[in-house]
Amino acid sequence: MSKPVIKTKNLTKYFKTPRGLLHAVESVNLTIEEGKTIGVVGESGCGKTTLGRVITRLEEATSGEVYLEGKEILGLKGSAKRNIYHDIQMIFQDPYSSLNPRLSLGDIIADPIETMGERMSKKDLHELVLSLMDTVGLPPRYYNQYPHELDGGRRQRVGLARALALDPKFIVCDEPVSALDVSIQAQILNLLMDLQEEKKLAYMFITHNLFVVKHISHNIMVMYMGQVVELAEKNELFAHPSHPYTKALLAAIPQPDLSSRGKNRELLAGEVSSPIEPKPGCRFSPRCPYASEKCRAGEIPLKEIAPNHYCVCTLFSN
Amino acid sequence: MKELLNIKNLYVQYNTDEAVVHAVNGVDLIVHRGEAMGLVGETGAGKTTTALGILNILPEQVGEITEGDIVYDGKNVLNMSKKELQAMRGKQVSMIFQDPMTSLNPIITVGNQIDEMLLLHFKELTKEQRAQKVDDILKLVGIPAERKHEYPFQFSGGMKQRIGIAIALVCQPDLLIADEPTTALDVTIQAQILQLMKQLKRELGTALIMITHDLGIVAELCDNVSVMYAGEIVETGTVEDIYQRIENHPYTTGLFNCIPKLDSNEKRLTPIAGYMVDPTDLPKGCKFHDRCPYVTDRCGRENPKAYQNGTHKIKCFRYESWGEGDSI
Amino acid sequence: MTKKKNDKKGSSTGGRKSMSQMGLIWLRFRKNKLAVIGLVGIVIMILICFTSPLYISWDRVVTQDLLITNQPPSVQYPFGTDQFGRDLFARVLRGGVYSLSSGFIVMMGALVLGLIFGSIAGYFGGMVDIVIMRLMDVFMSVPNLLMAMTLIVVFGQGITSLWLALALSSFPALARTVRSAIMTTRSAEYVDAAHIYGASTTKILVKHILPNCIGPVVISATIMLGSTILGIAGMGFLGIGIASPTPEWGTILSEVKDVIRFYPYLGIIPGTAIALSVIFVNFMGDGLRDALDPRMKK
Repeated sequence: MSKPVIKTKNLTKYFKTPRGLLHAVESVNLTIEEGKTIGVVGESGCGKTTLGRVITRLEEATSGEVYLEGKEILGLKGSAKRNIYHDIQMIFQDPYSSLNPRLSLGDIIADPIETMGERMSKKDLHELVLSLMDTVGLPPRYYNQYPHELDGGRRQRVGLARALALDPKFIVCDEPVSALDVSIQAQILNLLMDLQEEKKLAYMFITHNLFVVKHISHNIMVMYMGQVVELAEKNELFAHPSHPYTKALLAAIPQPDLSSRGKNRELLAGEVSSPIEPKPGCRFSPRCPYASEKCRAGEIPLKEIAPNHYCVCTLFSN
Repeated sequence: MKELLNIKNLYVQYNTDEAVVHAVNGVDLIVHRGEAMGLVGETGAGKTTTALGILNILPEQVGEITEGDIVYDGKNVLNMSKKELQAMRGKQVSMIFQDPMTSLNPIITVGNQIDEMLLLHFKELTKEQRAQKVDDILKLVGIPAERKHEYPFQFSGGMKQRIGIAIALVCQPDLLIADEPTTALDVTIQAQILQLMKQLKRELGTALIMITHDLGIVAELCDNVSVMYAGEIVETGTVEDIYQRIENHPYTTGLFNCIPKLDSNEKRLTPIAGYMVDPTDLPKGCKFHDRCPYVTDRCGRENPKAYQNGTHKIKCFRYESWGEGDSI
Repeated sequence: MTKKKNDKKGSSTGGRKSMSQMGLIWLRFRKNKLAVIGLVGIVIMILICFTSPLYISWDRVVTQDLLITNQPPSVQYPFGTDQFGRDLFARVLRGGVYSLSSGFIVMMGALVLGLIFGSIAGYFGGMVDIVIMRLMDVFMSVPNLLMAMTLIVVFGQGITSLWLALALSSFPALARTVRSAIMTTRSAEYVDAAHIYGASTTKILVKHILPNCIGPVVISATIMLGSTILGIAGMGFLGIGIASPTPEWGTILSEVKDVIRFYPYLGIIPGTAIALSVIFVNFMGDGLRDALDPRMKK
């Protein structure tokens, strides 16, 4: 087992809303190791983005702890807090709103170094930016161009170069390929995986796309309305999905082949409601075909149902 | 099957301040009654522009059909008067959009929005008959009829898309154009909507043009597929022709290869090299030749014709031996 | 026209010349004829007025000569003379210096105040926002002119207090624009990104948020400039603005109001100056709006 880079303990985030507390992230425990990717999947409103924002401290957690290489970071303040960003970085979903339209690409990539990096001469900085651009596959002629002159794929490369500028150990990737066309999406996924191999990066990859999460992750965590429902090694998860929600999610993907043509699949009824002041127990239970009284009784423990395969469901709690 | 829509050699361009965008470049497309046609391609391939052309609702002043004909049920849409067009839209051809939030009017109850379509197209119906039709269509798309007095904001995203479908179908059109109707929805909701569309297709016999970038949705729902790249249809055929993946246009092959597989453990994906061509500055010859692994000198000089083998047509010199077919 | 077309082709297809957002904005602005007329017009007015001290002495502006009262326009007195025998040409040109510069100064003052209060309210939100914005509401609920008159009474009459009064009575509208622009920009992902590489609040505000709010702010400031020029003239006309004998377009109008019936050019000329400057500025504002926010067009 390699070294854990990020570890969370009972990480919880509630938002105050006029209608009550919104339970966005409910007591999440996860470990991300050096050079590994944890995929976080779920539908809109499941709390996956909030989880990423709490770990990067863009949002302050309500309770719980986050350890960066063994050191707790949620309690840090001032410059100690800023220093975590030498190791933790993030890439964003929207290639259009993630780059400051007033800055040239060179300036965008240089900004983190000027803000936090070592002091260096203009010439060295220029060299460093060019080498970062090279790393993500952007030719030097883009140095003076502006974001609006680039397509989504190239913009996403700029966002990645900016995240790499401080040479981090861990990157939160929040739906980085969702806005891209499939042909471009594959390029970016390959780039992310190459970089991981080369720099031993740890990723938390947030997405709703199961094809993508299967491809890029080592472990996958499935979330539903703020709760973790299943966590497993990816092949194990796809081979033996155990939580009823995971099963429904996998069954719902339209496959790009003729295998499921004409077949009627099992459909999940209903839609996600909002996790404001949720009832105790499993939040999936109103839509779950196997739900029983036990599911609504109270907290359901995380259970290891196979080696390295955890599930939160009364079907397995005996 | 009878021919319902026949698009011939359609060219559409957008004249913007900065440049001329060549959005559709010589598209031929035939849709028969009751047929479900998938129109697949990436951003900027010209899918939506083609669809807007069918209803003749390209953005005014900017969008311009420079060549071609669109014949719907024997009549050329491009020569129709304003009145004829209004009568056609909604009654014979209707459209559902990607974002159900913006396509519904927020201050009118959903029942009234459906009723409005009936008022427009079936003036002879009485109030009671219309109310009955509204109830029926809501039930058909899986919404309890009592909810017709509610406003769009009281419905969830998936429900709103069901209402969009109800509005589109209440006049029983012969052709429904669905422009990425599930892209804004979660997968489990998408599955519900796809199921509904399959069922409606069976029950009502409406022809469907499904615009999507998702090859999975086409496989599930469509009879025939047309793959678009840079404003051209580069390959068309039955779903079997295309999804058997024996003979495909290199772009189609590229699209399939880009999607990660759920059942294998490949380490790297095979993306299509390069980027989408700039529609303001299209290359000579085959539009895909810059990105094609099988490119020859000829591809850069000459745009390939459509070569045909049964129902399967491909615009690529590699299939020249099939012999020239009707253009696509 | 043909030349322009060639230009366009060159930049979009050929050499892929990189263009900053400012460059693009200028390109779009240039295409709007009225806006260019407005810009050129106001620049010419400024040039004419501000170079006038070089050849028009102060004496010529204020010297009264009862022998030549109410002269019609002539070669010697291009705009004629007023009822005190002062050269109207000299007064209008030198008056433009006061009218136009006061307009700009008041706008800049309002802009600075608006930026400060708007940024604080928009960036910090919460209680700070509520307090500041309610204060702005109070300011805005008093009619501009009434507010300005009251302030002048408080500060005492004089050109600085006039500026202060007008700036104070017009900045809340700008503060609102700034605040809402900041609130939208604040949630952009590039602002999150800047947080994640440790940028300080000031740096985020100055480098990442404010430059991207400039659009709507510049538009409202320009449109406000027209109304400030009018406001200054209005105050002058009411006799609580820039005081006679200092020439200011509104003041000039007020001086001649009794004789306008007999010598209409005395009113028409300074009136036209006011109207032209406001129209030019407004044309420019409309052009800026189209150039900064292309979606607004068509």
